[in-house]
Amino acid sequence: MKLHLIVVALVMAAEFIGNISINLGIGKIVLLPMMYALIMGTLTCPRFLKITGEKEIMGASSLLGVILMLLMARYGTLVGPTLPKILASSPALILQEFGNLGTILIGIPLAVFLGLKREAIGAAHSVAREPNVALIGERYGLDGAEGRGVMGVYIAGTVIGTIFFGIMASIFAASGLFHPIALAMAAGVGSASMMTAAVGSLAAMYPDMAKDLAAYGAASNMLSGLDGLYMSVCLALPMSEWLYKKVYRLKYGVEAPPSEAAQAKENN
Amino acid sequence: MNMKMQDIIQVLIITGLISLCANFVPQIAKTGSLMEAFNKGTVEAIPGMLILIALAAVSMWLARVLPGGLPGAAYVVTLGCILTYPGMPGSAYISAATAKVGFLQLCTPLLAYAGIAIAKDLDVFAQSSWRILLVSAVVFVGTYLGSAIIAQVILKSIGII
Repeated sequence: MKLHLIVVALVMAAEFIGNISINLGIGKIVLLPMMYALIMGTLTCPRFLKITGEKEIMGASSLLGVILMLLMARYGTLVGPTLPKILASSPALILQEFGNLGTILIGIPLAVFLGLKREAIGAAHSVAREPNVALIGERYGLDGAEGRGVMGVYIAGTVIGTIFFGIMASIFAASGLFHPIALAMAAGVGSASMMTAAVGSLAAMYPDMAKDLAAYGAASNMLSGLDGLYMSVCLALPMSEWLYKKVYRLKYGVEAPPSEAAQAKENN
Repeated sequence: MNMKMQDIIQVLIITGLISLCANFVPQIAKTGSLMEAFNKGTVEAIPGMLILIALAAVSMWLARVLPGGLPGAAYVVTLGCILTYPGMPGSAYISAATAKVGFLQLCTPLLAYAGIAIAKDLDVFAQSSWRILLVSAVVFVGTYLGSAIIAQVILKSIGII
């Protein structure tokens, strides 16, 4: 009960602050009530303001799945009316999963250059949402180096990813290089809350297109949930492994040692 | 995740109520009067919210009783989609009613709960190295940018945008 009352207070405070536009020169970015609600919610924890305790934290985290359903229901009713248009865009929806591969080309060399070893593979093969964590866990074990990598990005995504995606979408939109629909569709690559923050920022900037933007974001998010994992298994992970070995030899001058999981198998 | 259906419905109703409260705040600036904002933002959104709660509850129930192990989220988006697909009987009503529930106002409570739940991961986050944080940032920007470029090129080439 205390949990829900705290949430009511947070939500009302956040909504009363309202949208805040910041002019960046190239264009404006928009901060949304949902972002303040997230930050204020985090601030209530025992580490900062000590308003919430273990009980509320565990309660909130166990309720999240149910609460998300309400938003998903709303997304369903947003996608339905625009479905004919979205189906016409399905080539873009499917092919944009390949956008992830560009990340590997930059992410793996960067991670190895920074001194990460096989953590790099876990960290840079995807945006590290739940299905990717499960995949790495199954393939290498979550207590190994690859597991540490994927968990590191997963935690970063949970704590700052939502705000990060919201502001990033806003900045790309302000740059004027992309059509808002393309940016909304790209927002689907992350978790549901990352997508929501990105689409929300875009909707606040282009209120006339708000419905279409949310529908495209939600459709892309659903599809990523389905085909994103296949992408990881078939392309992203093998490509990360291959690139890791190349970059490792380049940096250290010797062959990359195999993963702990593979070594353990050999020793048996 | 073995909550009783009864508890699930209770949580959905509580969140629905919070979201309805949030729903009237942006209307204050739009309509200029508290009563009118309450009418437009909250009272008029009640039928839509009830539909959303029903959709969510039915989907979670379907996820439990149907074989295949699909998550409730998959059912709820599909159901919502079918019920509002142009031409379905009642689709115009459902679409209009749920449109009164602002999706941004639905996100605010969700992220408030998420913010509270983040505390669980905060200690681990505080210990993560700057290297992982830098790689995370590059991964997020790279994936988003990559997808946006592909979406932009293909949507343009098939004439959607």
